[in-house]
Amino acid sequence: MTDRDLEQKLQDALEHTAPDDFGDVLSRRGTEKRNVIHMTNMTANTCEKKKRSWPRGLIAACLTLALLGAGTGGGMWYRANWSVASIISLDVNPSIELQVNQNEKVLSCTARNEDAATVLSDMDGGQDLEGTKLDVAVNAIVGALVRHGYLDSLSSAILISVEDNNTSRAAQLQQQITATVDGILQTSSSQAAVYSQNMAMNAGLDAQARANNISSGKAALVNQVIALNRSLKFEELAKLSVEELRDLMEIGAPGMPIGREAAVSNARNYAGTLTQNADVLKEVDSDLDDALPHYEVELIISGREYDYKVDAFTGEVLSGTADVLETLSPTPSGSLPVPPQPVVTDIGQDAAKAAALAHAGAAENNVTWLKVQKDWDDGRTEYELEFIYGSTEYEYTIDAANGTILKYETEKLRQPDPSSGGTTDIGQDAAKAAALAHAGIAESQITHLEVEQDWDDGRLEYEVEFKSGGYEYEYTIDAATGAVLEHEKDWDD
Amino acid sequence: MLTAAIETIKHSGPEQEMLEQLLERVALGDTEALGALYGKTRGAVYGLALSILKSAHDAQDVTQDTFVKVWEAAGSYRSQGSPMAWILTIARNLARTRLRQSVRFKELTEAEWEAIPAGASAVTAEDRAVLQEALAILGDAERQIVLLHASSGLKHREIAALLEMPLPTVLSKYHRALKKMRIQLEGEKSQ
Repeated sequence: MTDRDLEQKLQDALEHTAPDDFGDVLSRRGTEKRNVIHMTNMTANTCEKKKRSWPRGLIAACLTLALLGAGTGGGMWYRANWSVASIISLDVNPSIELQVNQNEKVLSCTARNEDAATVLSDMDGGQDLEGTKLDVAVNAIVGALVRHGYLDSLSSAILISVEDNNTSRAAQLQQQITATVDGILQTSSSQAAVYSQNMAMNAGLDAQARANNISSGKAALVNQVIALNRSLKFEELAKLSVEELRDLMEIGAPGMPIGREAAVSNARNYAGTLTQNADVLKEVDSDLDDALPHYEVELIISGREYDYKVDAFTGEVLSGTADVLETLSPTPSGSLPVPPQPVVTDIGQDAAKAAALAHAGAAENNVTWLKVQKDWDDGRTEYELEFIYGSTEYEYTIDAANGTILKYETEKLRQPDPSSGGTTDIGQDAAKAAALAHAGIAESQITHLEVEQDWDDGRLEYEVEFKSGGYEYEYTIDAATGAVLEHEKDWDD
Repeated sequence: MLTAAIETIKHSGPEQEMLEQLLERVALGDTEALGALYGKTRGAVYGLALSILKSAHDAQDVTQDTFVKVWEAAGSYRSQGSPMAWILTIARNLARTRLRQSVRFKELTEAEWEAIPAGASAVTAEDRAVLQEALAILGDAERQIVLLHASSGLKHREIAALLEMPLPTVLSKYHRALKKMRIQLEGEKSQ
């Protein structure tokens, strides 16, 4: 039974059990309400003119209507619904700003920098959140920040700022949003710190923020740092993350930190990979409130992880392995001699495939690949390969450095019952296409695709799984007809 | 992340437009339009009321009250693209008020899930299995979400707003609830 079948059954059951007594509704309406029948398109003016000829009830009705028009329509209604009562900004490094009305409904959601645009990309740049309640929007945004890895590290921090000229509402919103964010971070086991502030709306601050592509909340934080050290520049501080700014305030803003980018660049230079582009940046973390303020940079060079400590103010590399790629060259004076590192190479995807095929005794052109993926696991780079050859599914894990088979598994696929006659098979590409068509998603928008052939319920099926836009999709496709037999869509946590 | 919600919009677009037109006519005093609106939305209104009140009898009353109220208030409806959400907001408020009253009066006697109205004739065995048994295993919030989604065509996002829950909570509860129900119903079949 698919979700849709189930919902259909529910809908039918409700149709059958819901009251069907429109007559009763009709009979009650006259007694309990103003009767507006016949007042179609009638303005208050014409109503007044004709009132003598109307029964008493209708005059009362007309007056009520006119009052309603003044009270709930027009300017009042507009102000309640479309004027901005508060501005809420969420800053990590992505800066996202929400404008809400007095009913906490989101009027706009704006990315204030490029990182924010990336985070909001699967919410149509924030437009999807317009019209939602504030807490729904905050949930969606913080969820996206977590998924994009902005709140992963222990030292990461999110700043919540509420701008509202109504101070009590500002304080209440601040408390409410902080609790919401804290709740999400706890359930997603992020240990990021949550900072919050509230303030009155301030046009000057807002202009300064816009000029530097940050939110006014973050601009306020920058100004607090400048208050500690007047020699620091707003434009430069604006580029720092919330956690860097917070740390700076804690240590009394003794100077201008070099920033993450410069720290990474110095570490790369020191490692000797700067020009060769031969490393992967795994993480850069600021630790400005340490006794010796520094940045931690983790680089992956030829499949190994190297940690560097870079002085936050001078940019000097304090520790780490120098000249990784030239292990035979003398180490720079001043640092300890480093034992030569083995030069680790990556055999490449084709060689990994060849190693697996050779082991399975399979020929490339008779094989259906299900998965070819490079992975970092157990401190080394590996290839994860899955394919079907004949009636067997193979799974291999290959060491990317030397092609050694680290792990393999085979699974005999159950064959169609020969007595059922010639079962046709649309093939896994068609099965995948059927699932994508049903989901209404283009292949370019999905990740983690897995297609598996299975024999179940007396027929040949394809299990198609993929992720897209924060969801996990699972489909069961009839291999004979391409029909969607089952489908599931789950929040990808 | 909100792609699911958007997909539903596409499906329910014309339907919503039709409801919107009906509601406009109701505002002008058209009883025929009210009848049509009643026919199209009574299932959803009843489903929501039932999920909140857990009593077929109370849900029937609230359904009727809702449409009387819709008739009264249609003039104050402002088009925001979701007439269904507007109607269901009325139903939710009435159901919650009713719930508070019944709690006060009854001291919350063992809240029995009683989904099938007495004397209902059109109810099939399957209706009974789905409504009475499958929904009985769900928590209150799960039941509300599933019934709303099945009967109203509302987007998850709108359901989240209506029930005043965070969107991710609605999504995860929805999927968990359907899974539970499916296991319950399929389990029965195989016995």
